[in-house]
Amino acid sequence: MLQQNLSRKIRKTLKKLAESMLAVAVGLVGGAALMAVYGYDFVKAYRALFLGAFGDFSGFLETLAFATPLIMTGLTFAIGMRSGLFNIGAEGQMYMGAIGAVFVGGMLNLPPIIHLIFATVFGMLAGAIWSLPAALLKISRGVHEVVSTIMLNWIAFWLVTYLITYHVADPARAERAVPAQETARYLVIGASLTTVFILVIAFSLIAYFLLWRTTLGYELRVVGHNQEAARYAGINISKTMMTSFFLGGLAAGLAGVSQVLGRPPHWTVFATMGNLINIGFEGIGVALVGRNHPIGIIFASIFYGGLLHGGRFMEFEAGVASEIVRAINGIIILALAIPAALDLVKKIFPRKNRGETG
Amino acid sequence: MNRKALTRTESILAVLLVVAIIAGAVGWTQPGQRIVETVTSTVTVGGSAQTITTTRVVTSTVTVERPISPGAIKIAVVSDIGGRGDLSFNDMAFKGGDEAEKDLGVQMVELISKTEADYVPNLETAARDPDVKLIVGVGFLLSEALLEVAAKYPDKNFAGIDTFTQALAVQKTGKPLPNMLDIVYEEHKGSAMVGALGCLLAAHYNELGGNYPYIGGVFGIEIPVLWKFEIGYKWGCDWGLKWYEQRFGKRAPLIGEDGRYGSGPNWRDGLYCPQAGQCWYKGRVLWTYTGTFSDITKGYAAAKSMYEQQAIAVYNIAGPLGLGINQAVQEIATEKRLTSGPPYWIGVDANQDWINPGFVIASMMKRVDRGVYYAALLTVIGKFKEVVADTNGVLVLGIGTKVGNLAMEGISVSTLADLDEFIKMGVDAEKLTGKKVLPMSPEEIRQKVTEMRQNLPSWIWDALTELESKIRSGQAQVPMVLTKEEVDRWRELLG
Repeated sequence: MLQQNLSRKIRKTLKKLAESMLAVAVGLVGGAALMAVYGYDFVKAYRALFLGAFGDFSGFLETLAFATPLIMTGLTFAIGMRSGLFNIGAEGQMYMGAIGAVFVGGMLNLPPIIHLIFATVFGMLAGAIWSLPAALLKISRGVHEVVSTIMLNWIAFWLVTYLITYHVADPARAERAVPAQETARYLVIGASLTTVFILVIAFSLIAYFLLWRTTLGYELRVVGHNQEAARYAGINISKTMMTSFFLGGLAAGLAGVSQVLGRPPHWTVFATMGNLINIGFEGIGVALVGRNHPIGIIFASIFYGGLLHGGRFMEFEAGVASEIVRAINGIIILALAIPAALDLVKKIFPRKNRGETG
Repeated sequence: MNRKALTRTESILAVLLVVAIIAGAVGWTQPGQRIVETVTSTVTVGGSAQTITTTRVVTSTVTVERPISPGAIKIAVVSDIGGRGDLSFNDMAFKGGDEAEKDLGVQMVELISKTEADYVPNLETAARDPDVKLIVGVGFLLSEALLEVAAKYPDKNFAGIDTFTQALAVQKTGKPLPNMLDIVYEEHKGSAMVGALGCLLAAHYNELGGNYPYIGGVFGIEIPVLWKFEIGYKWGCDWGLKWYEQRFGKRAPLIGEDGRYGSGPNWRDGLYCPQAGQCWYKGRVLWTYTGTFSDITKGYAAAKSMYEQQAIAVYNIAGPLGLGINQAVQEIATEKRLTSGPPYWIGVDANQDWINPGFVIASMMKRVDRGVYYAALLTVIGKFKEVVADTNGVLVLGIGTKVGNLAMEGISVSTLADLDEFIKMGVDAEKLTGKKVLPMSPEEIRQKVTEMRQNLPSWIWDALTELESKIRSGQAQVPMVLTKEEVDRWRELLG
C-alpha cells in the first residue's frame, strides 16, 4: 500500500517534470522561431543567454539576485491558490513592503543589527496589513479577491508614489526615496546578491513546512481543495482565509523589503517605482511554472531570474534587439505556464460538468 | 445550478486573467519608463555645432599617430530606463556612438536598461568583454552603478552623461576614480542664449504693435541644478534688452520701458538700479517651480497663466511638462486660428522644435551625442586617463569649453541643421515603436520651422551670434548659480 502510494507519487512527479520539460522545449522553439523571423542567429543568442545567466559564478549570483523577490511574490500567489484564493495582490503588497523598509531603514537611526531586523519586520508587516482589506472584504461581504486585490494594487501604487514624492524623498535627489542606511542593509555576497536571499529561502522552507506539516497548513489546503467539505469538517474558513492572505502578504512584503535593504547599489525605491513594477505580477507566472509549490517556485524563480539576467547577453553578444529579448522571455514563460493553467482548467471543469449533469 | 454556473464563468475568467497578466507582465513597463525619462531630461540640457571643424582636425591627427583597424575597439553604451526611442538623452547618446563608429572606426554595442536593477549588470556585462575599452552610462540615474562597476574594472574607461560618480567616489574614498569621466554641461550658458532670444522676440513683436511684456519659464522641482537654468535665462533676457538698446539707440518697446515691473527708490524708468550705473531689466520673466517633473497638467496650468499675462514665449525646464506648455499654446492657436506663433515656447535638452512646428521658436540643446563622441575619441587616442587626471574626472562641455587646446563643446541653440537629425530620430522611433511620433510629414515640419525662422528679422539671430561669441571669448560672463545665497542675490536683481 505504502509502496504503491510512493510509486504513484513518483510517477506523478515525473509526469509533471516531463510536462515542464516539454514546455521549456516548446518555449525555446517558439523563441527561436521569432528570432529566425527577425534574422538573428538563435543558437548564438541562446548560448549567450544560458552562459550569461548560469555559465559563471558572478553571472549566477546576479541571476539569483533577480530571482530573490520573485520567490516571494510567487509564494504569495501559491499560498493563495493552495487555500482556494486567487490572490493577485502581491504587486501592491510588495510596494507597501518596500515603502515600509524605506521608512524604517532610511528614516530612522538604530543600532546595526536591530535596525536591519526592525526594518525587515516592519516592511513584511506593511505588506501583510495591505492584504487584510481584501481578506476582510472577502470574508464579510463575499467580494471576489481578484477584484479587490487589483484595486488595492493601484491604491498602493499611487499611495507609495505620493509618499516617495512628498514624505520620504531624498532631499538631494528628487527622483528617489531616501536610501536605507548602512546599518539597515543586508551584506553583499557578490554581484547584486545579498544575504536577504538566505532569508527568502528560509521563508520558503518555513512556508513549505507550514503547509504540509502543520494542522494549520492542512486546514488551509483542505479549504483550497473543497470549501464545502472543509466547512462540513468544521474548519473555520474565515480564519484560514485570513491566514492565507496574511502569510501571502508577509511574503510579498519581504519581496519589497529585499529590493530596498537587499539590492545594491541604490538601496531604495525610485519615484517611478521602476525597480519594483511587475515583480508582483511576474510572481504569478513563476508560481504557475513552479506548480504552486514553495520548492518548485524557488527553481522557477531562478529560471526566470536567469532569463531576466541572461537576456542582456542575447542583446550584447548576438545583437538581438531588447524588445525581441523580452518577447522571447515572454514566450518561454507562457509555454511554461500553460501546463499549470491547463491543470487549473482541468480541476475546474470536471467538477462543473458533474455539477451540471448531476 | 445557478451558483455553479457562475463559479464556472468565474474560473474561466480567472484562467484567462492569469494568461493576460503574465503576458502583460512581460510587456508592461511603460509607466515607469515614461516618468524616469522625464527626470533625466529635466536635469540635463545642451549642445554645439561649432565643434565639428575642430573634431575633424583631431581625428586626422589620430589616424596619423595610431592607425585603427575597424572594429578593433568596442565601446558600449548603456541606456537608462528611457531606452531607445526616447527622442532625447538615449537616442542622442546612440547617435554619438554611431558617429564615433563612422569617424573613429570603433564598434558600438548597446545595452538597454529595462529597470533600475539592470544598471549594474548591464555595465558589468560590457566591462567584462575584453574588446570593450569604454563603457558609457547615459543619465545621472547611473551614477551609483558606475561607481560600483568602474571601481571593479580599473583597466576599462567609464564615462557618464550628467552623472556625479566622482563626487560619490570622493565622498566614499576621499579621491576620484582614475578611470571615470563624468560629462556635464553648462546649462546656464544655453539658458542665457534662449533668454536673450525670448526677450528680443518680445521686442520685435512689440515693434509690430504687439503687447508682450513678458517671457516665461516653467520649472520642475526646485533643486539646485535648476537654479543654473533659472538665473541663466533671466540674465539672458537682460542681456538681450541691453543689446537692443545699444543696437537701436532706444529701449525695446513695452518690455524695455514699461513702468509695470516695479517702482520705488531704486527704480528708474522701468529699470532696477540698486547701485548707480548698474541697472537691470528686472521682472521681465514670469517663473514658476511646479514641484513636479511628471505632472503634465501642472505644466499646462503654469504656462496658461503666463500666456494670459501676455508672455510671448515660455521656456520648458521640466522635461515632459513641455507637453503641457505645448497644450496651452495649442489652445490659443486653435482659438485664434494661428498657423505660427506668437505665442511660442522654448524646448530643452533635445531639439524639440518639431513637436509643434511654428510654435517652438528654438530649443536649448544639450549635446549628449558629443559627450559620447568625445569619450570615444579620448579612448581611441589614449588620452582618456590623462584627461580624467587633469579634470578630476569631470569633463564640462558648454560654449567655448576646451580640453587642452581642443575645443569640446556641448551646448547650443537649435538650428535647422539639428532639426533634420531629430526628424530622422523621430522617423526611426516611429519604425521602432509603430506609434506615430511626428506631428506631420518631415517635409512639412522642415518647411514650417524654416518659415517661422525666416519671418524673424535677422538682427535677432545676429544678437544670438554675438552673445555666443562673447560667451566663448569670456567677454560675457553668464552667472553660474549653485547656492541659495547666490540665487537670492540674483533674484533680487532680476526678479
